[in-house]
Amino acid sequence: MIPLQLTSFIANSGPTIYIAPLDIFSIKHIAITNAIFYGWICSLILIVFLIMIARKLTIKPKAGLVQIVEYSVTFISNLVESSFNDKSRGHKYIPFFVTLFFFILLNNWLGLIPGVGSAITFHHYPLLRPFTADFNATLAAGLVTMTYVYGASIREVGLRAYIGHFFIGSPLNPLYLIIGLVEFLTDLTRVLSLSIRLFLNITVGEIIIAVFAYLGHVAAPLTTTPFVMLELFVGALQAYIFVILSVSYLANNVNNITGQQNLTKKSIPETMKLQSETM
Amino acid sequence: MIYLADAVNTVVLAKGLVVGIGFIGPAIGIGMIGSNYMQAIGRNPEVSKYFGQALVIIAIIELFALLAFASIFII
Repeated sequence: MIPLQLTSFIANSGPTIYIAPLDIFSIKHIAITNAIFYGWICSLILIVFLIMIARKLTIKPKAGLVQIVEYSVTFISNLVESSFNDKSRGHKYIPFFVTLFFFILLNNWLGLIPGVGSAITFHHYPLLRPFTADFNATLAAGLVTMTYVYGASIREVGLRAYIGHFFIGSPLNPLYLIIGLVEFLTDLTRVLSLSIRLFLNITVGEIIIAVFAYLGHVAAPLTTTPFVMLELFVGALQAYIFVILSVSYLANNVNNITGQQNLTKKSIPETMKLQSETM
Repeated sequence: MIYLADAVNTVVLAKGLVVGIGFIGPAIGIGMIGSNYMQAIGRNPEVSKYFGQALVIIAIIELFALLAFASIFII
């Protein structure tokens, strides 16, 4: 009787994957993680980059980086303006969403340059990590965006009309009350869904690149190239999706509630007025 | 006689089940989006300008697949 021993070929060391950011130093008693540190660097780069581009704008288009940035700005501002029924109302929300798009895009893309990750270590921790690969960061972005969206829609429409749009009848009816509360809950889950989507896409991309860099020991630049290209595309797509979803939340609120308000106002056409007067 | 392992590591089993069952739904959903998009193009080729919309919907579905992938590290 020879027991068959199942030998398993376990690798002695696997790829080092970091799912959460790690503390580098602390200011007084607040710990600064590597994602926050790189987020500061990226925000500085974003401000300097956009100001430099804005100075080089000319009336006649010149080929170059300025044209590409101008095209993206026009793309997002057309998107924001065309979502509203009343274009002049949507015009004042353009700067926030364009800045949000460039912020998320740059933070996603600057996480792909060589050096960000385990290459540069600080006391055995990676020194730099993309800012959007930190759940705290995307939660903050989602909270700020949805506060802006709800605050703007309340300011456009009025608090009473905004709370009234959850309920399809009178809130004293228990069925309508429950439906209204569930609608309110979906408003809260939008924050979570926006932030989790961005965080998971970027973190899973980092994990995939780390795994494939480990698999091709010497040929790591070859094996990770298709995945870095995929991450370029995914980073841009996720920035676009974040912006388009928040714009559609704002535009749907404003359009639907002003539509309801316009129905109940005294804008009844002449013929209907005559009919109601005769009846 | 063959002796198998004495104890089964249920955590690893659970991770495999979560990922295996969790990816079925989003994959089917994305396939349905793709097939309807192709059918609509077959009827009216002008619809191909809405490719951006299809990608947005795919990213909304992809969220659930990523949630299943992320639970590997939580379990």
